[in-house]
Amino acid sequence: MTHLTYIIAAYGVFAVIAVWFSATSWTRMTHARKRLAAIDPRASR
Amino acid sequence: MTRKRRRLVLVLACGAGIGSAAALALSAFSDSVAFFVSPSEIAAKAPPPGRSFRLGGLVAQGSLTRLLDGGRPAATFRVTDGRATVTVHYVGILPDLFREGQGVVALGEIAPDGSFRAEDVLAKHDEAYMPKEVADALKKSGHWNPAAGPPPPASTWNTLGTGATGTGATGGAASLANSAKAGG
Amino acid sequence: MDASTAFAPPVKPPSGGGRNLHRFANPGRFLRLSGRVLPFVALPGLVLTLAGLVWGLLFAPADWQQGDAVRIMYVHVPAAWLASAGYAALAACSLSSLVWRHPLADLAALEIGPVGAGATALCLATGSLWGKPMWGAWWVWDARLTSVLVLFFLYLGHIALTRAFDDPARGARAGAILALVGAVDLPIIKFSVDWWNTLHQPATITLTGAPTMYLGMLWPLFLSALGMTLGFVAIVLARTRAAVMERRLRTLLATRARQEAGQEAGQEAGQEAGGIA
Repeated sequence: MTHLTYIIAAYGVFAVIAVWFSATSWTRMTHARKRLAAIDPRASR
Repeated sequence: MTRKRRRLVLVLACGAGIGSAAALALSAFSDSVAFFVSPSEIAAKAPPPGRSFRLGGLVAQGSLTRLLDGGRPAATFRVTDGRATVTVHYVGILPDLFREGQGVVALGEIAPDGSFRAEDVLAKHDEAYMPKEVADALKKSGHWNPAAGPPPPASTWNTLGTGATGTGATGGAASLANSAKAGG
Repeated sequence: MDASTAFAPPVKPPSGGGRNLHRFANPGRFLRLSGRVLPFVALPGLVLTLAGLVWGLLFAPADWQQGDAVRIMYVHVPAAWLASAGYAALAACSLSSLVWRHPLADLAALEIGPVGAGATALCLATGSLWGKPMWGAWWVWDARLTSVLVLFFLYLGHIALTRAFDDPARGARAGAILALVGAVDLPIIKFSVDWWNTLHQPATITLTGAPTMYLGMLWPLFLSALGMTLGFVAIVLARTRAAVMERRLRTLLATRARQEAGQEAGQEAGQEAGGIA
């Protein structure tokens, strides 16, 4: 494969950004749901 | 409801104002927004010698000569936009995409002899994306000379060269020739 | 207490044409609906993105001039599309917040901002990684690249502005105005390659003509663009859900604290709320 370092760098940047946004949004959502359920079970759903 | 209508009108009016302001500003500065000047623009109004600017156009077919300048790679080629042509001298390594028929942008200045001395050459890629097999098939069938201009419409080559083998490519070229015959 | 009283601004029954928009304005309904939709967006997004990228990286043909560097396109083009589309969504949220006072639009705009900035950063980074070997330069100040860089700064400005005020409503208002003013950059980005001469190539895929791209490259590009768009939507949905729940949590805690201060009752609940806050 030609230009392999550039290709790896590009896909690497994508992987870092995609995983970071997915992981933070997911943990934020589950965290908020758990805290809400702990305070008021009716409000969390 | 009327308040909402009023806010909507206000926002739309502001949008129209900002839009036209931006359009005016951009058309006023159109020359400085342009990334390069074409050979015919230079022919019409040559920049003063010694002032650095970018020259853009296609590398003319058959104009490229590669040579050595004190051990360093150098090149002479002509840049054209179809109406005017400028000869360019460059000492340095040309980018991967550089070839005859390809768009280039060269940074440099006009020398006293009227040619262009480039300090830096960038290759401009066109909007066509095709595998090597398809390009070879088009070239072999005589439908396209890459040094002479852009490729034919995609509808004629999207059916070519699905196989990565030479037979696939020649088969594609044959089918293209057949379809051209049938069409004509 | 009833959870529905906890939502700060009370949703009045709207009249006329606004009714359809406001059907999804109720945060409780948004949470139920988005919770149901989210897996059907996130999962196809993941699968399609992976399929498109693996296809593009390993099975699509190399370009006759660019060689394998063309594979950067399968990340760069969807990122560029999402940078613009995300900003359009941000502007749409800002419009419905300023004009119709849609109660969820501010939260959605707040959450779209960072994700859109991420897509724009990805677009700029991958473009640079393609430009170095192909053009011969990491960066040039042509109209396309500069207008996308301006878009990135607009995103950053929106992120900073919406979070700069103590009163979130004022921050949202200021951010909405910035987002709408900045929307003028979107047509500039789109048409920069047609209006001015640029180093960046013009559009390959247009509404008017056939794409000037080999079909074996177009398909993986289409898959990864679709997948990344769904992924973008899923991330924004998840973040907006989190924001709605966090706001509900703050309101609940504040109401509870007020009640306790008034009645001086319930040591147990007070410890709980204090421990969590």
